[in-house]
Amino acid sequence: MIKRVRKKAYVRCRGGSISCTYGCIGCGLCVSACHLAAIKLEDGGPPVIDRDKCVGCGLCAGACPQHLIEVILPDYNIQVKCSNCDAGKAAREACVNSCIACGLCERNCPADAIHVIGNKAVIDPGKCICCGMCAVKCPRGVIRDSNGVMTAD
Amino acid sequence: MRSISYTFTVNGIERTTEEKKPLLRYLRDDLKLYSVKDGCSEGACGTCTIVVDGHAVKSCVLTTDRAVGKNIITVEGLSLREKEAFVYAFGTAGSVQCGFCIPGMVMAAKALIDREPDPTDDEIKRAIKGNICRCTGYKKIILGIRRAAAILRGEEEIRDISQFTGKMLPEENEFISVVGSNYDPELASGIANYENRGESSQYGVGKNVFRIDVRKKVLGYGKYPDDIGPEYFVPSDRPDIVRELAGWTEDEYKEAEAKGMLKVGTTVSKKDEPLVNICTIVDPDMPPMAYCSAVRSDYPRAIVKKINKEKAESLPGVLGVLTAEDVPHNKVGHIQQDWDVMIAEGDTTRMVGDAICLVVAESPYILEQAKKAVKIEYEPLEPVKSIAEARAEGAPKIHENGNLCQQRHVVRGDAAKALAESAYIATASFTTPFTEHAFLEPECAVSFPYGDGVKILSTDQGAYDTRHEVAIMLGWEDAQERIVVENQLIGGGFGGKEDVTTQHISALAALKFGRPVKAKFSRAESLRVHPKRHAMEGTFTIGCDENGILQGLDCDINFDTGAYASLCGPVLERACTHSVGPYNYHNTDIRGHGYYTNNPPAGAFRGFGVCQSQFALESLLNVLAKKVGISPWEIRYRNAIEPGLELPNGQIADVSTALKETLVAVKPYFDDAPEDRVGIACAMKNAGVGVGLPDKGRAKLEVKDGLVWIFTAASDIGQGCQTVFIQDVAQATDLPITKIWIGIYNTDNAPNSGTTSGSRQTLVTGEAVKGAAKLLKAAMDKEGVTEDSLDKLNGRVFEYEYFEPTDKLGSDKPHPKSHIAYGFATNVAVLDAEGKVTDIYAAFDAGKVVNPLSMSGQIEGGVLMSMGYALTETWPLDNCVPTAKYGTLGLFRAPDIPDIHAIHVEKDELLEVAYGAKGVGEITSIPAAPAIAGAYYARDGVLRTSLPIEDTFYSKKK
Repeated sequence: MIKRVRKKAYVRCRGGSISCTYGCIGCGLCVSACHLAAIKLEDGGPPVIDRDKCVGCGLCAGACPQHLIEVILPDYNIQVKCSNCDAGKAAREACVNSCIACGLCERNCPADAIHVIGNKAVIDPGKCICCGMCAVKCPRGVIRDSNGVMTAD
Repeated sequence: MRSISYTFTVNGIERTTEEKKPLLRYLRDDLKLYSVKDGCSEGACGTCTIVVDGHAVKSCVLTTDRAVGKNIITVEGLSLREKEAFVYAFGTAGSVQCGFCIPGMVMAAKALIDREPDPTDDEIKRAIKGNICRCTGYKKIILGIRRAAAILRGEEEIRDISQFTGKMLPEENEFISVVGSNYDPELASGIANYENRGESSQYGVGKNVFRIDVRKKVLGYGKYPDDIGPEYFVPSDRPDIVRELAGWTEDEYKEAEAKGMLKVGTTVSKKDEPLVNICTIVDPDMPPMAYCSAVRSDYPRAIVKKINKEKAESLPGVLGVLTAEDVPHNKVGHIQQDWDVMIAEGDTTRMVGDAICLVVAESPYILEQAKKAVKIEYEPLEPVKSIAEARAEGAPKIHENGNLCQQRHVVRGDAAKALAESAYIATASFTTPFTEHAFLEPECAVSFPYGDGVKILSTDQGAYDTRHEVAIMLGWEDAQERIVVENQLIGGGFGGKEDVTTQHISALAALKFGRPVKAKFSRAESLRVHPKRHAMEGTFTIGCDENGILQGLDCDINFDTGAYASLCGPVLERACTHSVGPYNYHNTDIRGHGYYTNNPPAGAFRGFGVCQSQFALESLLNVLAKKVGISPWEIRYRNAIEPGLELPNGQIADVSTALKETLVAVKPYFDDAPEDRVGIACAMKNAGVGVGLPDKGRAKLEVKDGLVWIFTAASDIGQGCQTVFIQDVAQATDLPITKIWIGIYNTDNAPNSGTTSGSRQTLVTGEAVKGAAKLLKAAMDKEGVTEDSLDKLNGRVFEYEYFEPTDKLGSDKPHPKSHIAYGFATNVAVLDAEGKVTDIYAAFDAGKVVNPLSMSGQIEGGVLMSMGYALTETWPLDNCVPTAKYGTLGLFRAPDIPDIHAIHVEKDELLEVAYGAKGVGEITSIPAAPAIAGAYYARDGVLRTSLPIEDTFYSKKK
């Protein structure tokens, strides 16, 4: 028996700022793109995905002008929820929920799977074992556990 | 200050703590839930996996503050039904070897099965991607999880395996058997566990047997040394605690007291489980267990100018800081005693893992603080980084006799002439890296004052070896019996637990402070200290005639043995003697040298030097085959050794030799695969230490209370030799499993049966057990004793020593017998279009297959280990300093494994010893690496001469 594993949409922004040029701008294009009404925009963004409804088709990802949405296998529950590419100080000023490229995640990762690239943390899914160490160590709460165990989702 | 508390539920009970710390520490240290294993505390290994709100989570990562309000389950909190399902499923599938990863696997599986009751193999693999297993190759764990899910769905039953005489294993647990007439897989049966042992006698040699250690390893109550906490030591004035721990009734308690089982120094076992110790009774005045750990060198080579320990010693809770001056004889070493216990002030370090001083404290927390408070002043020196630097003119001497640690010269015939006359020659220089054993259980030992000496609760590959090394350190060589070494469960070894690491320092501290002391390595410390597989630089030249018949071999093998000798001599020797391969030619000139450097030490590792030299030789055979114009299979078959022929070392291949049979067994798979995607390699590996050394197997059977007890100090590091010994006794005596028991063995109550090394326990100790069992059987026959009247032999002891002399290397006999037996193997590796390894057909001749289930487990695990060696595993050094963490070693994880097909080749003609078993532990990890390299050579014609091989599907990922 072959079962199909459905990917899920994931938004790489937690909101928290209107001045960040990288984050969600609340345009709602993702909501209109979704055929299954699996995305809602509350309080001007960022969008909330209903993981039970989402089938990982990727239409929302294609629609997002900020390229914040990615479809990912649900096993990869540990994800970076920020897309800010500014250097530390600027990123800190832009948003309360921003990656400041401090590198704590990189230093604590047991699998060499997360790296600060272009001033933001990026996970290599080929290496990530989803232990959640980065989520626990992140001083900014940017790395989240969609299972809601290591962090609230 | 207002205290903050964290409340969550553990196994149905609400718990509150005020400490913010990793949940792993809370579960183990506060709640004593020892199923939650501490394999790395870094999030890499998965041994501490628990279920939190339905998700599998690593408890070393999750902290108590983040766990607030959550529902936590450990193995201890599984329902009875779940426990039985996992014990049965993992036992019948053969999922359990060393067992250290198993509770974590069980919890990862539980989270999956609760979410998805009928998981696919792919889902199972992804669910355990965060859990490393170094023993099994995952295949049988995946099968075990699938079977547990089926049982929990109600589709499979937990059958009473003790009564079962039909085919126990569904066909999916297949391995291919190419066997003689005396083997019938239909007659499989099993041993359930000690509580559920029926009357069946179908567990003799050759039967698929449920290992005796499954239950305690699956449910996590079996004790590894790290599972010994302060509560393990019960004062003799508190018999109530012992009674509760043992689960005795009032009558059993009185009986135990009458037998003197509550006296100081006694170790008490769990009721009905003689191999699970639960406590040791100590004097009421004995202080509680303390903890010790060494402060280790920051530099691979530096003069220790000053050790500032006063600040650490003044911290409350610190018992003391020991230095070299406190050690009676400051040297240890498995064979050569060149390893300083601690580097003294004024002396020079040899590696970054060198111990400078030993801190002893009341708690692990204080210990860590105190270690940071020790300040060491160094004068750093330029380290010796490589073999080339070590042998350079004027190189700094790492040891006083210079940097050449060991050398061997193996000559037969005239290699130069043979090569000169060869039609084809292949030559290349090869380099292979250090490899880390990566056993799941880091080193740990607990020692306590005992009698007029010390008792060491250890996890190592040879209790008597450890006793010997500690005796040297203590200056007690003439009174070694003052030291008692008792192995607990051993969470993997693979050669990496032959040298002392924690045992001697805990013994030193226990004697110094007169109390139990635990020494436990962090994972980082484990990676730095224990000896690795030797890195090799070698040049091999081999020649054949126009038909591909091998003529001669010339090779130079250079080993980097790092800072200490460890087992450099024998490993180098095995690399040299096996570099010729299992082929019929007789002109060899092999020069082997092992050099000291300031790298971490190298020593024993499964394969024992042969992984290195066989990779080189087998790679060159493919080149020769191409030149001759025959297939890689054909060149091997034409040269393969057969019974009666002379091995390249002059030994006559015995009747059990089955190399050709392994070649024939894999031929269909080799022929079916596309020519440019398949590789093949053969291997041979000795069983037993051999080469003229007094390698003895010893066993003692004792009849007590109408039961037969096996005593032999032979470490079961996960390979399953204890189950094999029970099978040997069952075979010899026809006794049912209910009558054959293995007790806790130590150097006090069990005879020395050598090291778990050289694939020797099944053969050497197996023969000793068989011998003792035959003596028992003779006594039973003589006195008309049956299984029901064994009581009549109560108090009788049957001892047997097995020793078959061998000839030393360089013996002038025409046909010296180097080893009592050799195992043979052929592996075929198949790639897909992208270069991914899809299948490995692994045929092994291990003589008589004692427990087929265990044998395929050994094969699958060894082959995956070899595949890691070929493709992914690295041990990078930066100026002699290791930079890898456990999670970056490149160990294969479950989603990336190929399909490994274990093929057992068993001939009708077998050796007389140990029912014909030859052992399979090491050879399993040898041929897959060259087979994979061969497949890549077939694919692109590029001879890869270093490991891990370059430019593969797997190197893209880095």
